[in-house]
Amino acid sequence: MTARWFPDEMPVPAASAETAGWWEAAAAHRLVVQSCRACGATRHPPGPVCPACRSTAWEWTTLPGTGTVYTYTVVHQAFIPALADTVPYVVAVVELDGGAGTRLVSNLVDVHPAEAAVGARVEVVWEDMGPDLALPRFRLLSATAGGGGAS
Amino acid sequence: MSARNRRAVIAGVATSDYPLVPHMSEHGVHGQAADRALADAGLTMADVDGLATTGFFPMYATGVAEYLGLHPIYLDETNTGGSSFEVLVEHAAYAVEAGAADVVLVTYGSIQLSQMGRRLGTGGGGGAGFAPGPAIYDALWGNTLVGNYALAARRHMHEYGTTAEQLAAVAVTMRRHAADNPQAQEREPITVEDVVSSRLVADPLHKLDCCVISDGGAACVVTTAERAADLRHDPVFVLGAAHATTHHLNLSAMADLTVSPAAQSGPAAFARAGITPADVDVAQLYDSFTITVVLTVEDLGFCAKGEGGAFVEDNGLAVGGRLPTNTDGGGLSACHPGMRGMFLIVEAVRQLRGQGGATQVPGARIAVAHGTGGMLSTGATLVLGREAP
Repeated sequence: MTARWFPDEMPVPAASAETAGWWEAAAAHRLVVQSCRACGATRHPPGPVCPACRSTAWEWTTLPGTGTVYTYTVVHQAFIPALADTVPYVVAVVELDGGAGTRLVSNLVDVHPAEAAVGARVEVVWEDMGPDLALPRFRLLSATAGGGGAS
Repeated sequence: MSARNRRAVIAGVATSDYPLVPHMSEHGVHGQAADRALADAGLTMADVDGLATTGFFPMYATGVAEYLGLHPIYLDETNTGGSSFEVLVEHAAYAVEAGAADVVLVTYGSIQLSQMGRRLGTGGGGGAGFAPGPAIYDALWGNTLVGNYALAARRHMHEYGTTAEQLAAVAVTMRRHAADNPQAQEREPITVEDVVSSRLVADPLHKLDCCVISDGGAACVVTTAERAADLRHDPVFVLGAAHATTHHLNLSAMADLTVSPAAQSGPAAFARAGITPADVDVAQLYDSFTITVVLTVEDLGFCAKGEGGAFVEDNGLAVGGRLPTNTDGGGLSACHPGMRGMFLIVEAVRQLRGQGGATQVPGARIAVAHGTGGMLSTGATLVLGREAP
């Protein structure tokens, strides 16, 4: 069991033909990105066709799970009522190492909002939201604080 | 009939009562705005043969047509979010120029504030309730509509040194214009200090960096120059228009968070109108958030990328400033019923007619209305002019 940062009452994703493999990898605590088998371009969110070369052949590439904060915000007013007690929390766009510029919207956890910074180096930590659902969140690579159960 | 006489014009404009109409239905707001716009043009519902409108459920225009008692031969309900009404007017212009319709009524109506209350202050987008598509990749992280624009603002600050005070200057100028608009939701003057000391909603955006939430609607009548010749007002010409999209609702798929779709729609619309940004006398720019305006003035070419913060400072957007913008007080102060693009067009036409009142830009000949929709997902630019091209 990993650490928890967000409540159970969060939206639950419904997998599509293109996203199912991404969620299955996540459930196994593996961060993947969809890669075109024809030209190698990566894309996120997962989709049926390569925007670069139009090929429909693709595969999952496992990433190292590290990255750089492209931008972030500290949310002080949540929209989902269940998050009323979780604010303030950090939403970040992370540029993933090995993903050829692919970015993921996620969270920085185990971080004081004042420590969040564009350009900060981060690593994935997994939060098990349910038996079949794990979400990749990120913490500062320099962080030594406990709480995150990186796998 | 010569092709020239079918040049698209806007012959009538109106706003409904706003910003709070708890006694009205959404269709009622459409009807009030539509009747007023037709009266402004000197036309009646019997003259209308086209309808363009959109809202948040399918077959929306059909419902409005039934309510208004219309059986139009041209119907459009294109939805690109907040930029929808610029797109609908662009389409209506093509329709009348092609002869697909003679008089297209474009209407907008919303009772967002009465219906849902102020708790929607952070916006629904990115929260629960989105369909299980790519957008779910945003919702899972507790991101919000404001949060998405905050992500863009933070990146702009990082790349270009834009400050919270520069963003705040946008809100201050909009409020200054709203003081002269008796209908505006918020009219009390504010300072940069007021904005940056208001509570943070999604850092770096404060409460006063965010638009108000309102009821209200607006409408315009698009017809041909020939049809408008004997109507009440001098027509306002649709000189050029274009729209663009960069991604759906997930910012993972937006290539550069500091460049909005206006960077595509603006130059295309200006080229079609045969003008440059320097020719624009007055602008009505979608101001869901202060950062939206900073990105838009850059992307439309009123200043270089990265210089938007300096451009909006020191009353740059005020009447008499570098680019008089949102002369009715905009979405930040006058009203924002959800998809505000129709209000931009109404105010642009009023300015070109010299009906701007205390915030009239003297001698305005060319106006731009630019809508932004989704999570910086769509942009639509309309160039309007007092004189035939």
